[in-house]
Formats: sequence, C-alpha cells, structure tokens
Amino acid sequence: MKRWVWTESYTAWAFMAPGLALIAVFVFWPIIYGIPLSFTDYSVISETHYVGFDNFVTAFHDKNFLISLWNSLLYVIIVPIIQIISIMMAILVNGKIPGVKIFRTAYYIPVVTSMVAVALIWSWLLSNNGVVNFFLLKLGLINDQVAWLSTSSTALFVLMFITMWKGLGYYMMLYLAGLQGIPSDLYEAARVDGASRWRVIWSITIPLLRPHILFCTLISLMGAIRVFDEVYILTKGGPGTSTLTSSVYIFQKGLEQFNFGYASALGLIVSILVGVLSVLVFRFNQKGGVNPY
Amino acid sequence: MKKSKKGMVITLLSVLLLSFMLSACGGEKSGQMGSGKGDPVKLEFWTISLQPTFTDYFNKLIADYEKTHEGVIIDWKDYPYDAVTNKLLTSIASGSSPDVVNLNTEFASQMGSKGAVVDLNQFLTDEQKQSYFDGIFNSTVIDGKAYALPWYTGTEVLFMNTKIVKDAGLDPANPPKSQDELVAWAKQIKEKTGKTGYSTQWVSNLFPKEGIKILNDDKSAAVFNTPETKTILENIKKKIVDGVIMKEDVPFTKQIQYYSSEQVAFEIAGPTFINFLKTSAPDVYKNTIAVPMPTGKADVRLSNSMDVVVPGKSKHQKEAVEFAAFITNADNQTAFSKAANTLPSTKESIKDPFFTASDNTLESQAKIASANSLDKAVDYMVGVPNASDINSAIARGLQKIMLNDADLQATLDAMEQEVNQVLKK
Repeated sequence: MKRWVWTESYTAWAFMAPGLALIAVFVFWPIIYGIPLSFTDYSVISETHYVGFDNFVTAFHDKNFLISLWNSLLYVIIVPIIQIISIMMAILVNGKIPGVKIFRTAYYIPVVTSMVAVALIWSWLLSNNGVVNFFLLKLGLINDQVAWLSTSSTALFVLMFITMWKGLGYYMMLYLAGLQGIPSDLYEAARVDGASRWRVIWSITIPLLRPHILFCTLISLMGAIRVFDEVYILTKGGPGTSTLTSSVYIFQKGLEQFNFGYASALGLIVSILVGVLSVLVFRFNQKGGVNPY
Repeated sequence: MKKSKKGMVITLLSVLLLSFMLSACGGEKSGQMGSGKGDPVKLEFWTISLQPTFTDYFNKLIADYEKTHEGVIIDWKDYPYDAVTNKLLTSIASGSSPDVVNLNTEFASQMGSKGAVVDLNQFLTDEQKQSYFDGIFNSTVIDGKAYALPWYTGTEVLFMNTKIVKDAGLDPANPPKSQDELVAWAKQIKEKTGKTGYSTQWVSNLFPKEGIKILNDDKSAAVFNTPETKTILENIKKKIVDGVIMKEDVPFTKQIQYYSSEQVAFEIAGPTFINFLKTSAPDVYKNTIAVPMPTGKADVRLSNSMDVVVPGKSKHQKEAVEFAAFITNADNQTAFSKAANTLPSTKESIKDPFFTASDNTLESQAKIASANSLDKAVDYMVGVPNASDINSAIARGLQKIMLNDADLQATLDAMEQEVNQVLKK
C-alpha cells in the first residue's frame, strides 16, 4: 500500500479546479446535455417528447439548413486568405521599420473592438449613401450605388471581408510571436549561403511557423464555420438565404422559434462537421516547427 | 506521469459531477403562497420596460386591486424588453412561472400556439371579450382559443418630411389618402429631389396589408400563390425601380437613420418613432408631420400591441385572469394611455376627449392619426404553431424577389412549398 503524497500536479489541478468547474457548468454540461435534447422536440414552453432521429432526418431535408451549411463552408474560403495576409503582415512588422509599433497597434485595434461596433461602422460605410459607394462612384468603378449588404451576389463576400478585417490583427500577433521564436542564426546562415528574401521565407520561415499555421488555421476554420455576430447584426441571414450561416440558422430555430430540440440536432451536426474538418487540418500540418530540445 | 493522469481523471470527474449537481439546482420554487385554504394568493405580475417611468401608476393600480380583492397580493416585477423572453422561458422551465405576463402579440401567439398559456375563453364573459377592438383581440385567437388580453397599442401612421415634400412641389396639408396617391407622391419626390420615398423591411405582414391571404380558412395550406399576388408583387418591384421604395431590407433602427438623415421623405411606423427621431435629428423632427397611413388593398392598418397573458403553469389561473382583465379594462386602459401617451385597445376608452385633443405637436398628431386607425387595426398573426417558420419562409422569399431579382413565379412556388411543409409538421 503506497502512502498518498500531495504532488506538484495536484497543486496545479487545485488551481485549475475553480475555472474548470465554471467551464464544466457553462460549457461542458450544455454540450453534453445538447446530445439527448437533439432526440426530442424540447421547446421549454410545451411538453417534451422523444422523437428519435426525426430531427436529423428533418435536418437533411431542410433546404434552409443545407443552404446555411453551404454558406458556412463557403465562409471557409477566408481561412487560407487570412493566413497568407496575416503571415505577410507579421513578417512586415517583425522588421526594424521606423514606427513599427504604430503599425502593430493599428492592425490590432479591430481585434479589440467589439464586433457589434465593427458591424455598425461597416453598415454605415457600406450603406447606399455610404463612404464606400461615394469613393467607388468618384473613381468611376461603379455606375450606380450598390446595396452591398442587400444584394445576394455581394452580401456574403462583404461579410467575409469584415470578418477578415477584424481578425487579421489577431492572427498577425500570433504569427509575430512565432517569428520571434525562430533563431536568428538560421537566417544568418541562409544569408551567408546567398538565399534570396523569398527563399528564406519559403524555406525557413514558413516551415518553422507550421505549428502556428496549424493553430491559426484551426481556430480560424472553427471561427469561419461558427460565424455569427457580424452576420446576425448586419443581415440576419438575408437577403433571402444568401448569408444564412449555420450558426445564425441554429440561433433562429432555437432562440427565436423555440425549437430547441431541432436546434440541438443542427448544432450536433455542425459540431461533427467542424470536428472532421479539424482532424483533416491536423493531418496536413503535423510536421515542422522549432524543436527547442 | 501516472499520478498526474490519475489526478486529472479524478478532477475532471469531480468537476463534471459538480456541474451536473449545479445544473440540477433549477427545481421547483419553494414557498409558493396560497397553497392552503385561507392563505393569501400571491400573483407574480411581469411587465416590460415600464419601471421606473410608470412606477407610481402601477403602485396605485396594484393598491386599488388589492383593496378590492382581499387575499390577493400582487408581486410586480419589470424586465427589459430584450430579457423578458429568456426570463420567461427559464422561469417556466424551472417550474416557477409568473402568473400574469405582459408580452407582445407575436410572442403571445407563439406561446399560445404551443399551448403554454391559458385559454381565456373559460374565464371571460362575452361582454368582456367584446370590449376590445375586434381586430386586435382576434390577433391572438388560435383555433377559437383566446390566448391574450390586448393592452396598450399603436398603429402605423405616415410620418412625412414637409421640407422634402415642399421641395418636390407637393402640399403637405393635403397628404396622400391611398397607396396609389402615396406612390404618385414618392415618384414626384424622386424626380424633383432625388430622394427615395421610404424604406421598409421585407416581412410577411406585407401580404395581409395588400389583402393577400397567406393560409386557407382551416389553416391547412398556403393560398398566397395566385396570379393576383404575382401582380401585386410585380407592382411593388416596380416601386423599387421607380425609387418609391428603397431596394434594401431595412430594419427599424436603420429606417430611423435613413429618415433622420433625410435620405427618405416618409417613414411608416408607430408613434414610438417620434422619440427616436427627436433624439437623432431634432431639426428633421421640427419638419415632420404625422398623418393617417394610406391603406393598401385590404384597407387594414397594422397595429403593434402589447398583451397580457396567463401562463399555463400559473398556480392561480382564475385569480390571474381576473387581475389581467382588471389591468386591461377600459377605465384602466384610458388612465394608462394618458400616463404613457399610448393607445388603448378598448372601444370605450377611445371615446375619451384625450384621443381627439390636439396641441399641434407631432406627438398629438401621431396620437390622433393612430387613434383614428384603431377601427381598422389588426395585429397580423398567422395563428398556427410554427407561425414563425411560415413568417421566415415568406420573408426570405420576399427578399429574394425584391432584392435578388429572383424569378417571381419560381420563388412563389418555392415559398408555397415551404409553407405547406411547415404546416405538415
């Protein structure tokens, strides 16, 4: 019989326990509870019945849900674009340019601005008589005012742009942290060997940033599929179903129409989809990085 | 390593157990009063955003009621508009439902269609039911069951920017009386000033405004897919092309912005619009007048009423209905209208001189214009379970037609199919 000893790891767990308890109550438990709910017609205000797989069958026949899934998958287009631009930005602000701190701050401001404020500002900029139309008309790039958020062909891409605009600074900072962890002697060796700037980026920077690329790709992928705030504030999924994303549709079904059972089933389907995509991203990004040992 | 894994498992299990215990804490509320005979009955009464402005009015109302109804205690709580829905849902879910709740017609109908509120027919006399404007009272009648008592209301009126109207060579003293006249005015305004007539949100109430029936009489199938509907929608599309209506889906908050910045000449809204306008554009407020809303083909004006419901989980339904009827009776509605500058939903109240007296302010113009419309007022509701699904389907279809230039007939067919699918659920 071994004598039980209080070790350092117990201390660590003791410190984490309060936070974990809160996360468990407000995150883990609702997720777990959502699974049985998705097999019911739970609506809070009327009697609940077990409906088996009905919600899932309905989901795959629900044209609006399939459209919302498609729109969410389309939103994933921004993931590689965000990575490319934010890596470029990180490389730029990693240099010793005069006033680099101003750039870093400027790029980061949208990140710390509330999405509601960002969405409202963009709704003014993009309105019929907004600044965007004014300049485009002045430059002769458009002949008539464009209702950017009320036109099906432009609305989703405008929302993607807003998401990207707000998120770039965040990913830039993560990549900047990664860049500052790359040993400078590798760059010096490359320069001695006569490698060009692009060659250095391609053969040293990108491979050593791979763990960061994996992390950023994963969180931006999840963010893209779960995008909600900007869509709900600016278009509520309209016009028609052009910007209806899965999160907005789930919200409408659950919190606006009180079909919590059905909304839980939709949430479960989307979670599985995100899980599958995340595994795929992991598979493709397992190598690389700086080995500190 | 092994130890830390064991510790991790123990901690995670404890945390999950704790979370389960905590989440299971939302049980029945203890301390319910009035369980035994002779005990006082405590009614929990909820309102939306009426404190602190009308605290004195309600304290007096409650005191009067308690005086005449011995053994009944009213516990009044007020919640913000955004919070009341979730608050009510969580209260019902945790078994501590309030007894009398102030809700808007949409939510009251939704609760009614799911059987979550009391059918008032079993408690009300015919005389009581007939004391309300028929259109407003019937808005929450589903399958012959009356789910709510109408309370304060407001109908849409036409707000007009007299400066823009005069610039277009029109006379604000002779406002448009019909939809056709309104269109003619808007066209002239567009021609002469470049401003658009008005902005709107493409939602399902467009159909009843235009006299288009959404469902058949027994509410078993969609009946809006007709050549007449197609013609009406084509005409509305033409209004967008002519600059009468803005080609955009504009929620109310943005409509305020457009009107305040003089990008549109008209605004179609209830009297509450005035307060927003006053705050956002005092100069435009000075140039604004309110006139009765020119009606569409159906000759109805949409109202937006607040109701009072009794949740099905209330433990004192009879007493709760009595109190709800007291709050919404003609005398109390008249008094509340005077205190809050709202409109009553009772026929008797509207005879009070207060609703015809004008001091020429925009507020009183809107009040009179709105009051004159009450006989034609309808809080439009589809009146079936899943009504919100039907409203969403129609709104999405209308947006596709008006904003995405989708094929009209194909979209109407798809809307009809979607509504029929919802009805089959």
